[in-house]
Amino acid sequence: MGFVAGFARFWGFSVVRAWQGFWRNAMMSLAATATVVLMLVLLSGLFIVLTGLNSGIEFIERKVGVTVELLDDLPAERRDALVATAEALPGVTRVTYVSPDEAMERLREAFAQRGQTLNTGGASIQLQATLEITLAEPEFADEVSLALADETGVRKVITKQEEIDTLVGVINVIRTVGLVAIGLIGLTVLFMIVNTIRIAVYSRANEIEIMRLVGASDSFIRWPFILEGILCGLIGAVVAVILVSIVWDPIQPILVSVFQMPTAVSARNLASLSALLFGVGVGIGAVGSWISVRSYLSAAA
Amino acid sequence: MTSLLRRTPRAETAAPVITMVDAGLTYPNGKVALSDVNVTIPAGDFVFLVGPSGAGKSTFIRLLIRELTASHGRVQVAGRDLGRLRRGQVPALRRRIGIVFQDFRLLPAKTVAENVGFALEVTGTPSAEIRRRVPQLLSLVGLQEHANHLPTQLSGGEQQRTAIARALVHDPAILIADEPTGNLDPVTSWEIIQLLIQINELGTTVLMATHNQEIVNAMRRRVLALEGGTLVRDEAGAAYEREY
Repeated sequence: MGFVAGFARFWGFSVVRAWQGFWRNAMMSLAATATVVLMLVLLSGLFIVLTGLNSGIEFIERKVGVTVELLDDLPAERRDALVATAEALPGVTRVTYVSPDEAMERLREAFAQRGQTLNTGGASIQLQATLEITLAEPEFADEVSLALADETGVRKVITKQEEIDTLVGVINVIRTVGLVAIGLIGLTVLFMIVNTIRIAVYSRANEIEIMRLVGASDSFIRWPFILEGILCGLIGAVVAVILVSIVWDPIQPILVSVFQMPTAVSARNLASLSALLFGVGVGIGAVGSWISVRSYLSAAA
Repeated sequence: MTSLLRRTPRAETAAPVITMVDAGLTYPNGKVALSDVNVTIPAGDFVFLVGPSGAGKSTFIRLLIRELTASHGRVQVAGRDLGRLRRGQVPALRRRIGIVFQDFRLLPAKTVAENVGFALEVTGTPSAEIRRRVPQLLSLVGLQEHANHLPTQLSGGEQQRTAIARALVHDPAILIADEPTGNLDPVTSWEIIQLLIQINELGTTVLMATHNQEIVNAMRRRVLALEGGTLVRDEAGAAYEREY
């Protein structure tokens, strides 16, 4: 009971002092908090883009299949033979012939769905006739591709793997650039928090000295400052989560349009993002203030 | 006068509260701040620490409160060997030592009661205990009427009384006063000395560093005199200057 009461007193004291300290040094604290918000909003943007692209990969993977482009003017018998050959391959669940006219119709429909009209400028477009092969599992793609590549009448075999590889490449570039940018901003935020807390510590040097002389333990001296840094991160995270929540629904159609995927954003993703923002905000506040307090109070010990 | 600090009779009165054996401090650059001091101060004693500026008085005090660690010899305070004290044990030591300074070191934004209560609050004392102790301490130093005043609304003597009340919050075995009358006029200085005598009579050992010859000569208590980092005199019932 005594331990619990002492524990509660310690945290009560530390939280109250951290709150008072935050507002006593309001300009610096709010500036540090603003940089936290900036970093977390950028992190949110990166999260949303990467989540959208990843969901794109999942979408493509779900539409597992192989597309076989056929030579122009292929006789119907040869085409039917190719369909039969493809249907006989392991893992193939369905083979659909798409004529050049059907392909053109699909293209028109795709444009119409975006509210646009296909304009060829008067030129005649000849699209390829294709076989669309649906697979039971994506692992069969290579086998089917190899089996059909050398067949007579086949111009080219396209697997979804190429699309996935392209998308993964894009994701990797965006992730690398995004993380480097966020890392640099993170260092700036850390610097801001370290300085904010350092100023807070220096401005209360007399108080700290008195605390030491009357026998306050290191925890009583340090934790209010560490909590003050955490408070910067926490408030920054709350503001960032509110901002992201406000724009979450309005950006949904934009993201769907950009990524062409219906699952780019979801409530589940918002929850994950909020947890990430709180974790990063609180973490960077704690690390920054710990660095600051540690370097000052160790020297003053 | 309240019985707040009364500690007679008890076993501690028989044992020394401060022991220094060949204790000293030599900095890494070779400068000697204090050399081979041998002193034993029994509980309940009232001791003056005198000497010119730079004689080593501050080093002597900082060794006792473990702001500095002796580079050689042994320093023992309130039963603790300070050379073996771990960092985490220092706060407990400092609760056994009250300390007041020439410049009072009060927090200007806090009232008299808050300044005293702060010392209890930062050591995890329950609020109910703080509410009980602070008025007692203010009564002891005669400041109960000034509990809600800020330090800037007090005279120098009242500020020093506040600092003394704060130093006594943990009922320390030793009260160290570093030039407590240095910023005060003669009349106020004597008021502070009277207060220190009362505290001493209640059983708290008092060690007072001072340049005030008049007070030392009038009091005729034990005098430790430092010069150039060396203890040159340890004399009971003595004057500020050597008399022989």
